[in-house]
Amino acid sequence: MTKDELIPKLKTIIAPYIQDEEAFKNLTEETDFVNDLKINSANLVDIILDIEDEFDIRLENEDMEKMLDVKSAMDIINAKLER
Amino acid sequence: MVGNDIVDLVEAKSASNWQRPRFLEKLFTKAEQELIYNSENKFLMVWRLWSMKEASYKLYTQQNPSRFYNPKGFECHIENENGTVRYNNFKCQTKTKYTSNYILSEARISDFKMTSKVIGLKSDITNIQSEIMKQTLLNEISTLFQVSILDLKFKKSELGIPSVIINSEEIPVSLSYHGSFGAYVI
Repeated sequence: MTKDELIPKLKTIIAPYIQDEEAFKNLTEETDFVNDLKINSANLVDIILDIEDEFDIRLENEDMEKMLDVKSAMDIINAKLER
Repeated sequence: MVGNDIVDLVEAKSASNWQRPRFLEKLFTKAEQELIYNSENKFLMVWRLWSMKEASYKLYTQQNPSRFYNPKGFECHIENENGTVRYNNFKCQTKTKYTSNYILSEARISDFKMTSKVIGLKSDITNIQSEIMKQTLLNEISTLFQVSILDLKFKKSELGIPSVIINSEEIPVSLSYHGSFGAYVI
């Protein structure tokens, strides 16, 4: 999926968990879930589960390890979708 | 070096749902899941184990500067308020305190007495919460080390690991916020 297709989908998924509206408005590939969007680490797992549901994929521990920013989330989703 | 983590129980109830499908499998080992299922209060056990994992992760990343999300990799064993957490070859001790409002865990390498301090945070704006916490922490260090607060500098490394600099000495610290509570420890 292209960046332009993926980013809006990701934004919908992470919207309920963000705690910094400004950073969310200006979201780019580089945006960090915890440092920029101030998402609580306890909610990162919810984002991971929501991604699994939305894209009908399953994320392993190795995938979760890197799920810290928009870019790694997109890379991981695309890698799973290609399989 | 030290790591700590606080869980606001009201926030944990409203902002997370530990009963959603696959939630426990993603975060907890088989043994931990069993511990949860066999607990009288499953909700409290989920968040106790979570806070132990987070506190240990913060200690681990102080020793081994890095950033990753692998709560399941931090394997918890508990004995009353004490705990042991292992992550690969890393091993640390934890202590956990429960009140009716929060769960607080602290992690250090060897046995210790818990020294984390808790403050109530009225604002729900993360930036304000973190500013209040930093100031409270700097005040405390200023008293403890008998140095002027002007000689102290709060630092967050590129990886987000916090410390306080006194002149040229760097003191590792740990901060945690959740809901209406913050906890800090030196």
